[in-house]
Order: sequence, then C-alpha cells, then structure tokens
Amino acid sequence: MTDPDPLAGWPDELDAEILTGLRGLHARLDPPPPEMAEQMLLAMAVADLDAELAAVSGEQLAGSGARASEQTRTITFDAVSLTVMVSVVERADARVRLDGWLAPAAPLRVELRLPQTDGRASLEATADDTGRFVFPAVPRGLVWLVVHRDGSTVVTPTFAL
Amino acid sequence: MFSDGEVAVTAQASARSGAHASDDTGSRRAERLARCLERARGGEIAALDDVVRELNPLLWHVARAQGLDPGEAYDVVQTTWLELLRRLDEIRAPAALTSWLISTTKREAWRVNRSRSRVVDGAEPAEMADSGPELDEGLITGERDRALWTHFRRLSRRCQELLRVVALVDRPDYTLVSEALGMPHGSIGPTRGRCLAKLRELLLADPIWSTR
Repeated sequence: MTDPDPLAGWPDELDAEILTGLRGLHARLDPPPPEMAEQMLLAMAVADLDAELAAVSGEQLAGSGARASEQTRTITFDAVSLTVMVSVVERADARVRLDGWLAPAAPLRVELRLPQTDGRASLEATADDTGRFVFPAVPRGLVWLVVHRDGSTVVTPTFAL
Repeated sequence: MFSDGEVAVTAQASARSGAHASDDTGSRRAERLARCLERARGGEIAALDDVVRELNPLLWHVARAQGLDPGEAYDVVQTTWLELLRRLDEIRAPAALTSWLISTTKREAWRVNRSRSRVVDGAEPAEMADSGPELDEGLITGERDRALWTHFRRLSRRCQELLRVVALVDRPDYTLVSEALGMPHGSIGPTRGRCLAKLRELLLADPIWSTR
C-alpha cells in the first residue's frame, strides 16, 4: 500500500466539527422511534425464550382517593393458558409499586425487565400459591414481564410505568 | 480486519482531538461491548441490553441511509437483532460486533430494497433510494446547521450514506464501519476522504457556514 496509515491525523478539528454537526442533525431530523430499543429487547426476549407473547386485554384507571396520586392503573394480559394482571400503584417517591396476579394461580417465577441502562436489568419475584406477586419499588420507564413456567414462558408486551 | 497496529494508531488519533469525546473512549467502548457479547454467549441474554440500547440508533441510521421508510427500517433492524441472537456463537471476534451488526443491517436493507424494486423492472435498489428519506427540514434551527444540511444533501447518495453512519461512531471504529458498509479496504481512506473533503469544500465556500 502506498498509504499505510490513511487515518493518521484524520479527522482534524474541522472534519470533527462537520461530523459532529451531521450526527446532531440526523439525531434531530430522523431519530429512531421512541422506545424502539426496548421493543427490540422484547422481541429478542420472546425469540430467545421461545416464549408466548401475551396480549393486552384490558386497561383500567381506578381513581379511589381524592388525590391523583392515589389512582391505580390495572392492566390485564392474556396468553393462551395464563392471565397476568398488574396494578400500578403510585408511591411517594419517583418509583411505583407493582401488584400482580396470575390466573390460574401458581407459584411461578416472575421477572420484571427494566429499562435502565445502568444498575439492574431486571427484578424478580415469585408468586405465592394464590398467584399473587409484588414488586414494591420499581423505577419508572418502559417495562415488561416474563413469567417462567416449566417448559414454557409467557412474555407481556412493554408497558409504561 | 483490524490489526493491533491499526487500532493503536486510531486510538492515538482519537486522543489527539476530542470531537466525540466522552469518558468512554471508542476502544474502551468496543471492549465493553465485547464483554457483553461474551456474557450473552454464556447464556446471559440480558447482557445484550446495553449493546441494543447503545447500537440501535446506529443501525436505525444504517437502514434509513439505505432509503428504507421508517416501517421498513424498524423491521430490518429487528431482523438484525434477532439474527444476532441466532448467531451469537458465529461472531468470531467480539470486537467486530459493531461491523457485524452494520453489515447485517445493510444486507437485510438491500434485500428489502431489491424485493421492492422487482415491481419496477430494471431499477437498481440504489436508484430507488436516490432521493433519500423524506425528513422534516423545518426542525433545523440555526443558519449554520441549515447550510451544513443543504450541502450534505448535495453529496452523492453513497457519500451521504457513508458520512451519516461514520458520524455516529467513535473514531477507532471508522475503518470497521467503512468496511461493513462495503467499501473495499484499499479505497476506504480515499473514499471517505473524498466524501468529507467534498462537503468540507462546499462548506468552506459558503460564508454562512465558514464565517463564525
């Protein structure tokens, strides 16, 4: 090769400024859809676990107290042989409490996949004999649940906390 | 692929000017991503979370630069990630993960472009993508950015594709990225140089951009 090191001294300050400008313009004009990365992770989880993807069959907002902070959102996910219901309860801090039920009731391992890039990728809980499980303090963001059964797995779509 | 010598050279170039400066230099970033890949190979799929979050925007831009509409780009990038799961064990050098992802995305984008172009007899996929994706240019604020965009759009489709993707990666990855985009090794320097040199020439001749 006549030029063994085509990258030496490249890019200079001006090139770098141009590239930084282009990076910023494309990020502004044509960003990936919001939450796309989370949806990709979900698709990968479903494929990897050979899991069944449950469908959202209902979502309700129950305003019990006078304050908005006492409102509870309940989401129901249906798979062929399992229904997962979760209630999202606001907490005083920036996090939420997640109460869940499995039907039919079974003491299964439930994994909550989290959006955060640092720290934990997921939280785990085990349902009791009545199918009830709790995640007492969950950071906000787009999450999804993985319910592990013997030989099969159910994954819910992403939902926002 | 990359020899150690080349890595060292580009890392030095990176240290000299800090345009994409972050705490996490490009080479350290590549090492970190490679470690994630190793863990994923060991069965810890969640180790790929960081890889997906970090590289998904890059793959999005690779797909969009091939002229795919947003829906197609979304599907193509998803195919790439699922392909990564299937081929975790086949990626020989974890350090080459980024380029593997880029070339897989590009190949898949070509497949989509080709199947679309069958309808239009004889049209090359590259021609189909010539106009590039429709973007809301009203989002550009500032004269300098507007000038940069105007001149960038005057470049050939090939140059736009290359610069769009190269602008997103850290410096030590430039060579890998260029290769992954299908630039033959010998022509990487000149090709990249030509695209950037052309844009630089247009910008320097434009008083709106060159006068600060």
